[in-house]
Amino acid sequence: MNKINLTRNLAAFAISTLLFSCGGDSDSSSQEINLVDTTESSIDGNLEDLFDSPEFDYQLPSPLQVASIFKNSGLAYNAGATSDPGNEDSYTDELKQMLNFGVYSADMAYCVLNDQSNEARKYLEVITDLAERIGMEAVFENKDLMDRFDKNIGDKDSIEILMLDIHERTEIYMDENDMQHQQAVHFAGAWTEGMYLGVYDFEHSTDKDDVGAKIAEQMSILQNIIKGLKDPKNEGMDLAWIVNDMTKIQETFDSFQSVIDYFNDPTADELYLTKKEYDTLGALVKDLRNKIIMP
Amino acid sequence: MKKILALLAFFGFAALFAQTASNLTEFKENIASQKAEAKAQLKPYRFDGSKITYFNFKTYKQIKEVEIYLFNNTDYRFSFNGKSLPNDITIEIYDKEKTAADRILLKKFDGIQGKNILVESAELNDTYQSKTSSDLRLKRVFVDYVITAVPGANNQMPTMKERGAVVLVMGYKN
Repeated sequence: MNKINLTRNLAAFAISTLLFSCGGDSDSSSQEINLVDTTESSIDGNLEDLFDSPEFDYQLPSPLQVASIFKNSGLAYNAGATSDPGNEDSYTDELKQMLNFGVYSADMAYCVLNDQSNEARKYLEVITDLAERIGMEAVFENKDLMDRFDKNIGDKDSIEILMLDIHERTEIYMDENDMQHQQAVHFAGAWTEGMYLGVYDFEHSTDKDDVGAKIAEQMSILQNIIKGLKDPKNEGMDLAWIVNDMTKIQETFDSFQSVIDYFNDPTADELYLTKKEYDTLGALVKDLRNKIIMP
Repeated sequence: MKKILALLAFFGFAALFAQTASNLTEFKENIASQKAEAKAQLKPYRFDGSKITYFNFKTYKQIKEVEIYLFNNTDYRFSFNGKSLPNDITIEIYDKEKTAADRILLKKFDGIQGKNILVESAELNDTYQSKTSSDLRLKRVFVDYVITAVPGANNQMPTMKERGAVVLVMGYKN
């Protein structure tokens, strides 16, 4: 794994430590106090990043778990519903590349769980290419993942484990390189695609109440995705449009009568929306998905 | 004389820098191996992700909270590794976030320092159902790390002895 950023952060931290050590104690003269105060804020910043987690944090499920939940609820494989891997080259800005890294990850999970190995391989290829373009080439650098995929192409369980390895390598890479804030961007793409595949199946099939319930269940994650996108470290990216669209989805969902009733009923276990509510939610999800995958 | 002092200062700086960076790198590497250990204990549950919570022991108590989603009809196992803890902490698992006055304590354990502890969602659901007298399943849980106060800790510039982390690895039953 690339440890350049970790080393850089450690160096910054160590230098801050030294500067702080040289600053004298807080009972010294006012001039020295000012010197210490200035340094202190830089140390706090480094420590916050490296070795002091936020007071509140959350853990999002992997794309494979989300796909597995949908699959177990009866979601069928719909050929042509996934995003076109041929569009990968047209994602030229970093945000689109990150979002579609998530979209394609969800598509790969969907194909793997539905025994579509050849399709899944196409997604592994585009994920590998996109990873390189967004600075995460180290996750795939040895090409061992592709070799493993080819060796195990008929073995669904091994391919699922390979997908989890990709997820874990990405997680480690982001942790080591202080990139955790970008995870919400990848996940925003993956979540939208997972929801879209659920909506697609729900609309094209009959008697899919369980799939509908899973669509509603996945809405519980959205608030934390929005929170993650709003992380100040993501400020350099033009995320306003996706935050706005996701906020609109959240607010629309929260205003549904079924949702209000569900949260007012302490005995309610599973949330089912009405047909009209599903249609409204589905239209918003499709709209957002189109914006994300549009070259 | 000035040159000698400058040289000594330079070497002192370099040595301290190297030591600090080396300690922190070792700290990170230890966490990586503890994560592997925690992950190994997930079986037969399938690995789904990890959350490493870093903190510094201070002269006052702190709480750090992690929200985890539990989806219906899915069973989960949580593996907590406390081998990067210089002091013990308490782990508490609730049904709601710490700002909710009516939240229910589902599980509490001390003595995680130096150990790897497992918790499953089935147990948390049983406790929840028994405390609420209902058949409802948890939709999410909130893991609170209650970081005890350490008298004499350096709040502003923690030493390596005051740094800690808990590795949490999650798995689900396919």
